[in-house]
Amino acid sequence: MAYVLGFDQIDKSSLPIVGGKNASLGEMLKAGIRVPPGFAITTESYFELITSAGIAGEIQTILSHVNPDSVPSLDHSSEQIQKLIMQAPMPTPIRRAIAENYEKLCEMCLIDDLPVAVRSSATAEDLPNASFAGQQDTYLWVKGLGDVIAMAQKCWASLFTARAIGYRIKMNFPHDKVLISVGVQKMVRSRTSGVMFTLNPLNGDLSRVVVEGSWGFGEAVVSGAVTPDRFMVDKVVHEINERTISAKEIECIFEPGKGVIHSPVEAERQTLPCMNDQELIELVEIAKRIEDHYGRAMDIEWAIDHDLEFPENVFIVQSRPETVWSQKPKLSVLGNKSGYELLMEKALAQIKLPT
Amino acid sequence: MPEKNRFPYGREVQVPKEMEGWEEMYPAHRLFSAERQEWEDANFWYGDKIHAPDPMVPLDEVFHQAWQIALSQHTTRVFCIPPAQGIAHRMLGCYLYITAIAPPSGDVIQAKAEKFGARTFPVFEHYDELWDQWRTRQQGLGRELLALKVPSELPRFVPDFDSATTIPNAGPAQDLIEAFNNAVNIIYRGWQYHFSYLNVTYLSYLMFADVARKLFPGISESAIGKMVAGADVSMFRPEEELCRLARLAHTQPRVAAILKSDRIAARKIESLRELDEGRMWLESMEEIKDPWFYVSCGSGWFHYEGSWINKLDVPFSYIKGYVERLDRGERIERSLSTISDAREKLLGEYRKLIKNDDDRKSFEGAFKNTRTIYRYAEDHLFWVEHWFHTIWFEKMREFGRLFVKQGVLNDVEDFFMFNRLEIPALIEDLATSWALGENIPTLKWADKAAKRKKILEAAAKWSPPPALGVPPDVVAEPFTVMLWGVTTERVQDWLAGVSAKPGDTNELKGFASSAGVVEGKARVLKLLDEIVTLEQDDIMVVPNTNPAWAPVFSKIKAAVTDIGGITSHAAIVCREYGVPSVTGTGTATRTIKTGDWVKVDGDRGIVTIVKRANGHAEPEASIAQHEM
Repeated sequence: MAYVLGFDQIDKSSLPIVGGKNASLGEMLKAGIRVPPGFAITTESYFELITSAGIAGEIQTILSHVNPDSVPSLDHSSEQIQKLIMQAPMPTPIRRAIAENYEKLCEMCLIDDLPVAVRSSATAEDLPNASFAGQQDTYLWVKGLGDVIAMAQKCWASLFTARAIGYRIKMNFPHDKVLISVGVQKMVRSRTSGVMFTLNPLNGDLSRVVVEGSWGFGEAVVSGAVTPDRFMVDKVVHEINERTISAKEIECIFEPGKGVIHSPVEAERQTLPCMNDQELIELVEIAKRIEDHYGRAMDIEWAIDHDLEFPENVFIVQSRPETVWSQKPKLSVLGNKSGYELLMEKALAQIKLPT
Repeated sequence: MPEKNRFPYGREVQVPKEMEGWEEMYPAHRLFSAERQEWEDANFWYGDKIHAPDPMVPLDEVFHQAWQIALSQHTTRVFCIPPAQGIAHRMLGCYLYITAIAPPSGDVIQAKAEKFGARTFPVFEHYDELWDQWRTRQQGLGRELLALKVPSELPRFVPDFDSATTIPNAGPAQDLIEAFNNAVNIIYRGWQYHFSYLNVTYLSYLMFADVARKLFPGISESAIGKMVAGADVSMFRPEEELCRLARLAHTQPRVAAILKSDRIAARKIESLRELDEGRMWLESMEEIKDPWFYVSCGSGWFHYEGSWINKLDVPFSYIKGYVERLDRGERIERSLSTISDAREKLLGEYRKLIKNDDDRKSFEGAFKNTRTIYRYAEDHLFWVEHWFHTIWFEKMREFGRLFVKQGVLNDVEDFFMFNRLEIPALIEDLATSWALGENIPTLKWADKAAKRKKILEAAAKWSPPPALGVPPDVVAEPFTVMLWGVTTERVQDWLAGVSAKPGDTNELKGFASSAGVVEGKARVLKLLDEIVTLEQDDIMVVPNTNPAWAPVFSKIKAAVTDIGGITSHAAIVCREYGVPSVTGTGTATRTIKTGDWVKVDGDRGIVTIVKRANGHAEPEASIAQHEM
């Protein structure tokens, strides 16, 4: 089994070894959706790491003694396990595979020490019925092989945060059934980024795509640090039916030496729309393609690059099945009436006006 | 000053002194009156900015007189829409006010409900055959109007006749009297026909729009319109005929050269007559002139708009443009298959979004009914408002010419200064004077016409109140909802005193007819003749459009109209060209001035004046204050 697989080598069937996020990126790439290039460090690498370091048994022992109702107990076990993983030496074959793929990515982008995003991609994450979202880590603007490897180990360690351990115990989810792969992806220099749903999350209306976006990296939107601009677009005719431009006072940007920081947005840019209509419609079209590909409503993270030309600047960073409305039964809103019954109903209707 | 929660009653409104005598121009039963005060006060009247935005010319009011009866009767007595009653009219200060009458008692609603289903549902089953019957009947009626003989003069002596074998006939004075009475009978009858299926069509559309909104809560009016609108309807034929004539000309270099020259239509026709192929081309044009050049240069509601047949420069300027485009190898025709493929694709995509089986069936039922009948909304328009009205206006001008010839009026168009109930008196006065012998005076009708023109000018400068009386609790009348857009919001706007005075507002609301948001320089065109002033990428602001305007849509950045819903001609064509449009704003041509920088939001149906041509976006001082 491979330690590292390029996004172009994986698809949704690869989920057990590359996790949900990576599998979905590979799947989208296969469907012709523009995603930032990168590769997955497989769960096999994780196995190999804990096996060759001889810490697998130790981890199991610690977990078997956790008291899920005790915060100090969770904290203590978490700290122990994370330390074990972080300090385990990366086996040479894995290190070599990561190095080869990272160098290839650098060559492809014509940048030495290409800045990448390193994300965990759990095998139980993003499944339609178990939203483990937010339980694992993402590291932005990672540069150089050494840091890439260190952050990958940090991702693996993040499988054992106190919260994740507690959550799995509470949900009765075996610890060894949740495995982590790591995604290494070219960093998009996000001018604008955000989230979109292929339905209206307020009422489940499948004929809308709702796009929320703000300046800089998506973290500002996801974390709720800003009220994003919000657009509601008709999925069929691509009309922009609602357009709410908010004062976006904060943006997440990368600052050399400091990493990704929250930075104030200058006054005149705060109330400018964070994207133009052309970019918005491109996003909607991509959202439709992703929804069609998966055959279900989706929740999609996207970014618009600072430097590239339209449409090459529009990227999909993540996509996962929408979990709220998709699980509700689709009840009839028209009450099983014939065309004539509907006409009769309308003919009998009166419009109440304010007095 | 009336209370805050209502508008002034009709009887409380003061008109400017210059308009004194306006009441004489309209029949007494169409005015507010002490005799009916209680009923009139109990109703909520609003200005019909859609069909009668300008002061009403007395004879052009005939259509309104006719539709008050015809529209209302089809709702109350023919198809019996259960809670809906008719639309009543009142003229006030030369402006038309209308009211949707409140629903009747429960037992009347019940009785109508039984009739409604029984009478309406079969129409959907047999619409195609019914439409054929309708068109044949309407064409017959138009031909009857066309064939009416109006004496060209009242001669000194009736023509010689063989008094040995024939008895004297009734003579030209009697012919004149009968011709006008017959013409009025025909126009009234035509307006009855106008509403044959329109009420049901609108109701069906409203039903379908409800269905679409229940299934897709955020769907726009424009998207709903795209699902049901037909592209292969009569209203598009005039433009298609122009394309055909242009293609014909394109095959004949000498004909094409003449048509492409910058001369007026009359000169071009003279030159064409000198060539064999030119005469053949003219013949082809003559063959299709009736009916396809009987298309108004405006809405069809006003005699002064003119039609292609009497403003040949209009179709000729289009033909010129089409021939030039053919020279450049461009396609000039709308592709019906492309349009219908696009509609099928769109429908298919919405259908796919319905996940409940029962709903899918209901949607199909609702769609099938509406799609079957919806074309009536566009087909009837050509055959009544354009073809039939053009015949009527031309016929009325024949009367006008006689009155000028007989020295009673100074100008043919002055004939329109008298309402249809006065004209029999005018005719009788002339007939009497002629019959009595030599040098018998008539009343001074020409002076009256002159005075009325002054009143209408004063009325145009006056800003009448947007509405009168107390807003109602409920409305059920489908036209009120569909055409005049009576909604909670609209009535609140009216109550808040939102009026339509030029220059007192920077935002106009209308139908979001074609999606997209653009800004640009406004070009206000009142009449089709003015399109020569239109520049590339202007935002065209017009009373409304019809196929006579079609070729301008590739030149403009957006269109804004006073009149028309989301399936109006402007809306349909804008969607085809991907040009944003807001239709049915009511007052755009008066509120917006040429040169203003405007933003057209075709997604939400809002037009904003960003910067006035005179340099500021602040409201100008209003010209006149009305009571409120």
